[in-house]
Amino acid sequence: MVSQDLVGRFAAGAVAAGAEIVWAPDLGAALAAAGRLFAEAKVARALASRPVHAEAAASGLAVALPADAEAIAAADAALVTADFGAAETGTLVRLDEEDEEKLAWTLPPLCVCLLDRGRIVPDLQSLAGRIADHLARPGIPGPQVSLVTGPSRTADIENQLTIGVQGPARLVVILVGGEGASRP
Amino acid sequence: MKAQAPDPRLKATLQAFYEGWAAKREASFRGLDFEALRETLAEIKDDAIAKQDSLLARFTERAEGHGSRVLRAKDGDEANRLVLEILERHGAKTVVKSKSMVSEETRLNAFLASHGVEPRETDLGEWIVQIAAEAPTHMVMPAIHLTRQGVARIFAGHLGREVPDDIPALVRVAREELRREILSAPAGLTGANALIAETGAVMVVTNEGNGRLVATAPPVHIVLTSTEKVLPATSDALLLLKILTKNATGQPISSYVSFIAGPHRGPQYIILLDNHRSELRADAKFRDVLRCIKCAACLNVCPVYQVVGGGAFSHVYMGGIGSLLTAWIHGLEASKELAGLCMGCHRCDTVCSTKIPIADLVAALKEKLARETGKTLWKRFALDGVMGHPALERGTFIAGRAARPFIQKKGFARSLPSWMSRYDRFRALPAPAPRPLSALFRREKRKLAKAAAPVKGRVTLFPGCLVQHVYPGVGLAALRVLSRLGYDVVLGPTGCCGFPPWNSGHAGAARRAFRHVLKRMPADGPVITLCPTCTTMLAQAGPDLALGRPGAKEPRLADGGDGAREDIRAFAGRVATFSQFLARHEKDALRRLLPEGRPAPRVAYHDSCHHKHVLKAAEDSRQLIRLAVGAGLVEMAGAAGCCGFAGAYSVDHPEVAEALLTEKLEAIGASGAEVVALDCPGCLLQIKGGCRRSGRAADVRHTAEVLDSALGRD
Repeated sequence: MVSQDLVGRFAAGAVAAGAEIVWAPDLGAALAAAGRLFAEAKVARALASRPVHAEAAASGLAVALPADAEAIAAADAALVTADFGAAETGTLVRLDEEDEEKLAWTLPPLCVCLLDRGRIVPDLQSLAGRIADHLARPGIPGPQVSLVTGPSRTADIENQLTIGVQGPARLVVILVGGEGASRP
Repeated sequence: MKAQAPDPRLKATLQAFYEGWAAKREASFRGLDFEALRETLAEIKDDAIAKQDSLLARFTERAEGHGSRVLRAKDGDEANRLVLEILERHGAKTVVKSKSMVSEETRLNAFLASHGVEPRETDLGEWIVQIAAEAPTHMVMPAIHLTRQGVARIFAGHLGREVPDDIPALVRVAREELRREILSAPAGLTGANALIAETGAVMVVTNEGNGRLVATAPPVHIVLTSTEKVLPATSDALLLLKILTKNATGQPISSYVSFIAGPHRGPQYIILLDNHRSELRADAKFRDVLRCIKCAACLNVCPVYQVVGGGAFSHVYMGGIGSLLTAWIHGLEASKELAGLCMGCHRCDTVCSTKIPIADLVAALKEKLARETGKTLWKRFALDGVMGHPALERGTFIAGRAARPFIQKKGFARSLPSWMSRYDRFRALPAPAPRPLSALFRREKRKLAKAAAPVKGRVTLFPGCLVQHVYPGVGLAALRVLSRLGYDVVLGPTGCCGFPPWNSGHAGAARRAFRHVLKRMPADGPVITLCPTCTTMLAQAGPDLALGRPGAKEPRLADGGDGAREDIRAFAGRVATFSQFLARHEKDALRRLLPEGRPAPRVAYHDSCHHKHVLKAAEDSRQLIRLAVGAGLVEMAGAAGCCGFAGAYSVDHPEVAEALLTEKLEAIGASGAEVVALDCPGCLLQIKGGCRRSGRAADVRHTAEVLDSALGRD
């Protein structure tokens, strides 16, 4: 069973950080929701990161795999996936991303992220062991972990919060799954 | 000094920033135990600093296992040379940077520019100050001193075209420019918020996402960081993160946190800079400074920083903690101005992420500075010469009283000559009282004894210099209140406690003054002070000073008779302020004694720095005043704001003192209070003198006087 409390806390934290939340009962519905978001935002060039690219393309979304930095920067939107969510702060956690995926999370103005509701944990400390194990994994290129909470922001001019300074101006989290979603 | 004329606009900007930050910070820590969190982080950092060599060895082994090259730099010059060699090796003529305080520390940008490499900052605030050719004024908010109009002018000058001055448009311009720079750069340089020994990963925290882009997009990644950033485990870094972002910006977490273990698109170099941190680590007294995680919360609460800003209060690193880092990293001489700007109010201690006792360490730095680089002439005279010698101190006040007919007017000193007006234009200085407390005390006590004999034990009243010589009425009020409560009150020693010389780094004079007082204290019974700063000296700094001296003997107390000794720490435990003592022991008795139908003037309470931030006794006084005047007690805006006195500080930095006092007087005016109550005679001098100079009618009174009035005379 998915803890509704955890999911609710995650959503509240993410919204407080400036993210938007969309609910979807399964992957198909989530991809349909992503398609609607792209259409509403008049997205011409969309990317989908490797873990979701095949399903997204199969569902009819016109998405490319992230290639080089220039191409990623030229995209209007990216569809990505997170491995975990941390409820306390509304944080998306991604393990083992390739550089291209990392850039896909950061360069396009709209970032849409799929998160399985069953993979929401109470806080980041709950993931310390998993993150440590992942980062200790040998091999080149080395492992990475990203924590993303809300869109890119700055308050460097007159302390006024402004969204989208370097990364996306919109971060939409699609929470996938119902009561029976898998647990981490 | 670099800045002696505070800029009112900058002050307003910093004040607004502070207020927003404080509210967000409080909300972000809600439901969490900040004290427990920072205690744990302090322990982790202490342990990591103690084991730094082995942790760095482990980090290096793991990082190199991931394919990173780990390099060590002894000092800033070596770090800069290493960065240059890497860039030359890869043919890079530009390098994009995310915010790195360590690169500021080594003056990397100037070094690279002088060798034909163009460094480009990508953090928006850093980029603004870079293209404006200015220095950052805040460790987290580098361009906080600039308005949107100023930023638009800077952008227009840099880009050679008109730029609108609305903030979203300015941010869009920055996005386009910075993105172009980042995507075309041959190399990127980041700092690190933590190095994790168990995995060989670096943790980089940004809100904008530029750290993540700079570390990812260019083919070469350089991490320039310092050795004390190493932590044993990922969980430690996550705890640091949990405190860092809340304390830095009031956010539950920053938008982007990257853990990077090893290179990706091309080589990754990690440069670990020592730059005298080894010496700091070997110094038992100052080692705590290495716990600093650069959250800058200490700056945000610093009253001096809020007045002068980071431009004046910095030598790369800013504020009180900056003075300490500077003393080791850039040399003792470079820290002198910064340490002198710290007024020792201890606000920084209350918010530090790792519980560094910043104010006490700055005081210790002042002592080191005075010892190793010399003392100013007036302080040698006033602090070493007068306050360090009790007989001379007494003589000085006797001479002041003798001159009273010539120097006083309505209880205040006549104005200073125009060439000295910066010291009294904002506050009328008091004249010495016609008679000191010690000359009035016995007669008053006899009078009181006739009314009622004491039924409780004996307490010793320690008045401090200002009450003894300038405000004896405060001492008499305390005597009356304590006597009404049934105590046998004796007047303790009337010399200086030693705080003014201690706070200016004159340890010898401070130790002499403290021991002089201590030797004249009774061997038992409570010691009640009328000044929180004296209390801090008698109960904390003085004992540390006396006991910390190698080979120091335990001092003998006055009425031990046969030479009985008292453990100095036990003495410290007997000391309390008047308000602390009454709030702890006599609230019920006071309630019974207070007459019905007593006047209840509108009273605003001013928090004295040491009373609130060191003794944590702000609520004690409010409880007593509430007993005395009930609903007459009102909270004024900025009740905890410093009045700007801070002893010798207001002589060293009268402009800062004036700015702080002005704000306090405005708050008093806005509160509509008839009476301003406080617990510190120094604040009394400052605020009373300020009200006099600015023509405000508020009556400024010590809590003892407020209670004395409420109790009425028998």
